[in-house]
Amino acid sequence: MSVTTKLPILEVNNLKQYFSLKKETLLSPKQTVKAVDDISFKLFPGETLSIVGESGCGKSTTGRSILRLDEPTEGEVLFNGVNMTSLNKKELRNMRGDIQVIFQDPYASLNPRQTIRKMLQEAMTIQKVMPKEQMEARLLELMSLVGLRPEYLERYPHEFSGGQRQRIGIARALCVNPKVIICDEAVSALDVSIQAQIINLLKGMQRDLDLTFLFISHDLSVVRHISDRVIVMYLGTIVEIADKDSLFDSPSHPYTKALLSAIPSIDEQHKKDRIILKGDVPSPIDPPTGCRFHTRCPFATDHCKKEVPALRSLSETHQVACHYAESLLNGQVV
Amino acid sequence: MDKEIVLQVKNLKTHFTTSKGTAKAVDGVDFTLHKGETLGIVGESGCGKSITSLSLLRLIPTPPGKIVAGEILLNNKDIVKMKEEELRKVRGNQLSMIFQEPMTSLNPIIPVGEQIAETIRLHQRLPRKQAWQKAVDLLEMVGLPSPEKRAKQEPFQLSGGMRQRVMIAMALACTPEVLIADEPTTALDVTIQAQILELMKDLQKQIGMSIIFITHDLGVVSEVCDQVAVMYAGQVVEHRNAKDLFKTPLHPYTQGLLASLPNIHENQQELQTIEGSVPSPYDYPIGCRFADRCPHARDICRAEAPDLIETGNSDTKVRCFMHTEKWETSVKEEELVCP
Repeated sequence: MSVTTKLPILEVNNLKQYFSLKKETLLSPKQTVKAVDDISFKLFPGETLSIVGESGCGKSTTGRSILRLDEPTEGEVLFNGVNMTSLNKKELRNMRGDIQVIFQDPYASLNPRQTIRKMLQEAMTIQKVMPKEQMEARLLELMSLVGLRPEYLERYPHEFSGGQRQRIGIARALCVNPKVIICDEAVSALDVSIQAQIINLLKGMQRDLDLTFLFISHDLSVVRHISDRVIVMYLGTIVEIADKDSLFDSPSHPYTKALLSAIPSIDEQHKKDRIILKGDVPSPIDPPTGCRFHTRCPFATDHCKKEVPALRSLSETHQVACHYAESLLNGQVV
Repeated sequence: MDKEIVLQVKNLKTHFTTSKGTAKAVDGVDFTLHKGETLGIVGESGCGKSITSLSLLRLIPTPPGKIVAGEILLNNKDIVKMKEEELRKVRGNQLSMIFQEPMTSLNPIIPVGEQIAETIRLHQRLPRKQAWQKAVDLLEMVGLPSPEKRAKQEPFQLSGGMRQRVMIAMALACTPEVLIADEPTTALDVTIQAQILELMKDLQKQIGMSIIFITHDLGVVSEVCDQVAVMYAGQVVEHRNAKDLFKTPLHPYTQGLLASLPNIHENQQELQTIEGSVPSPYDYPIGCRFADRCPHARDICRAEAPDLIETGNSDTKVRCFMHTEKWETSVKEEELVCP
């Protein structure tokens, strides 16, 4: 099944998210953090698209800007063709029923003074999902859907374990019948055995409820497991977009290669060929000129320092932002 | 080939007394660390791995916590019985530790070089100038760029990876015999984690120290460890050579843990999970602590607690009845009711 033939459910065009640090004065220039700097991508119905990258690459900010939890500086976000960035508050509230979010730390995102029942009811009332009389049945259905006992509805968030809280976070996102769910590091804080349970739950729900996921994570093993397509971000820009198999089997951007090789693996065969990157990720306040990765890239040339590489297609399902992607793929040294 | 044993922990029990009762955070931990080797202690949240590491240095806040039983033999001297004065000599000189979040273990308002120099002055009684020079040398050894300049900076001016390098430099200041690293790379990004792991391996070769590496990340364990102790509910359930452990895990918990990892090298349909949850440290069952979640559990597992015993060779220890003679004669339970 090719997803590309469908119309996108969510389209992000030239999204920019800048944060001002200091006002300009005579002595100090204005400082802006370019958290997300001109990114575009499409999300197709029914797929899981992942955004991966290291801390500070802008992956979470992207999620927040799409939801307008932070107002984007520039660019547009089209949901089913409607531009979300130009909606007023009321229209936006209606729209948010369709796009929900699950955060990393469910404890910080659940109101500690509300029972689970109250929390779910409130969300359903605000989004006018259904008349009050039908809610009870729906609540029970939701609890069984996420694998929690019905009597837990009367409990408070602190009475649950981390995995259970994440299930509640999922129930809260599901209760308004969304079409798209943004999962922001939704399984990162969990132990592996619990993480596996939640991943299976998410995959099962997607199959049964026809959901679309934007899955933001730093954990590439989880991403390989859950995604159809993957976006790799570095310092506020997209360096590579590809379908899962071609990204993991033939990564084309030097950063993606290094990132994949840096993952500790329990598999003996895959332990060779580690690429160790030098130095740290540069500051997004004053990002490097040209290709942002050139300061750490083992193949960087003068050309990389001057010219920003555009995101271009290698194949129908594979886009990369590197001047030398083809020659690197063929194993040539630039 | 008997290697020299540096550190041996026998039946260590660290309990915490709270208003809810006694939490048996560490409840009978045994392991052995050989010279020049890296021992990984792995397990999920709450299994007692961090409390074990704090117990080794006697850093457990008392009350509520207390080491109630067991021995920690460092070169055959028992740390549990040491007086405060003796302990101070051991800490830093023979045993030192690095933590997960360097920012909370560094003093935020003192230049990092000064903090390292202070450690050196305290332990080795070097004059101020020499201690500073040594601190700068150490920072260079751990690969901090422009160490002269960085030594004069405060922790907030450094990145996470650099701070962890500073912590390592400080821990190595007195060339300890054993370095305890408690989740040293968990807060770091993978590319930075790869740098730090590489650094630790290099330094171990140079100095010849032994490392206890505490982590929840099985991938990291397989990268750096020679031996592994898997912990579950306050006890070691499997203690083996790392390669063997990953190839043929013996304990059902280890098997479940490895199976629930998503594999980056292939596509899988569904991940295996371990059903149920960890028993409460206030109230462990009489029998095997994993029995309620174990797909192989039989009557004997609930009636008796298994010991950590050698199977095959002396390098392989596992806490499970499946690997004892009792297993053959035990009665198989009826199909377990799924929760």
